[in-house]
Amino acid sequence: MKTLIAIPAFNEEESIGAVLADLASHHPLEHVIVIDDGSRDATFDIAHAAGVRVIRHAINLGVGGAMGSAFKFAARNQYDAVVQLDADGQHRPEFLSTLLEGIGRTDIVIGSRFAAGGGFRSTWARRNVQRVIAWTVSAYTRTRLTDVTSGFRVSGPDAIRLFSEHYPVEYLGDTVESLVLASRQGLTISEVPVIMNERAGGLPSQSIVRATLYTGRILLILVLAAFRSAPPNVTAMKKRVKRESAP
Amino acid sequence: MNPQILAIILSVIMLVIVLVLLRFYFLPEKYAVIWLVAAIAAIVLSVFPGVLDGISRFFGISQPINLLFVAGFFVVLLLLMQLSLELARTREQLRKVVQSIAADMERSSSGDD
Repeated sequence: MKTLIAIPAFNEEESIGAVLADLASHHPLEHVIVIDDGSRDATFDIAHAAGVRVIRHAINLGVGGAMGSAFKFAARNQYDAVVQLDADGQHRPEFLSTLLEGIGRTDIVIGSRFAAGGGFRSTWARRNVQRVIAWTVSAYTRTRLTDVTSGFRVSGPDAIRLFSEHYPVEYLGDTVESLVLASRQGLTISEVPVIMNERAGGLPSQSIVRATLYTGRILLILVLAAFRSAPPNVTAMKKRVKRESAP
Repeated sequence: MNPQILAIILSVIMLVIVLVLLRFYFLPEKYAVIWLVAAIAAIVLSVFPGVLDGISRFFGISQPINLLFVAGFFVVLLLLMQLSLELARTREQLRKVVQSIAADMERSSSGDD
């Protein structure tokens, strides 16, 4: 299975070097791509020097935009699986094989901090926010999911085809919206327990107020996602596939 | 015909337009909230004109319609301001993108790394 590790990075000069060094013992670096999402620091130079492929965005598009580029790259180069790995060292490469084992059973496999066997220390507010969002997404996908905001996940061939056409770009909503989009297109999702490191930078939902705003925004995205039809690119792709498969 | 019916019809049309634009991915989430709030506020005010009367009395405005004009104008100005800021940001990004593409083209045509 040809597997691409995609690392979206925005101003991650402090951690990207260590992440790539750690990754090197688990995956060949020629199949690793760093998406430098308009960084103003040395992220590009460090990644380039480490010998991985680097895509550089001229402006900051957010994690969703960066992953969109990664999926387009993967589709163009016939990859069978794309693993998203954070540049801040939160995701541990020793769990790559655990994630990849799940591909084939389902189209997307999420590394979950909250599934039995996973581990992550977290605040009370953050845990409950995660729980509410997880319940909602589980209802959409008709699968029991515990950690839908986890960025540590692998996408199989069908998911790569879908996401290379359209990947949600809304800030901090890309993880959940992509799951809803995938399940509405008939893709299957599962999760495996993983252990994550503490994030080096600030958490997006530290205080109760910020946690509430964050939850509200994600829930709004979810409500809209349910109401929306397929994105225009995806509809066009399905028509194309149907035409090609017709005799 | 009761003019209230016209107001209700117009505000419902506005809500439908917003929903259709959202459904087919023409309107991004980012702007969805403000337009949904505006459309729903228009429906509430046209169905219950008493709300407008009450608020006008509170501010001491004798003609409720004047409150509608003032408030509507203010909201439209805010929306215009937001559009100007977005446009400025987009132009700045466009400039960056064009400059970076131009730099890449120069690098690849001159043949050095």
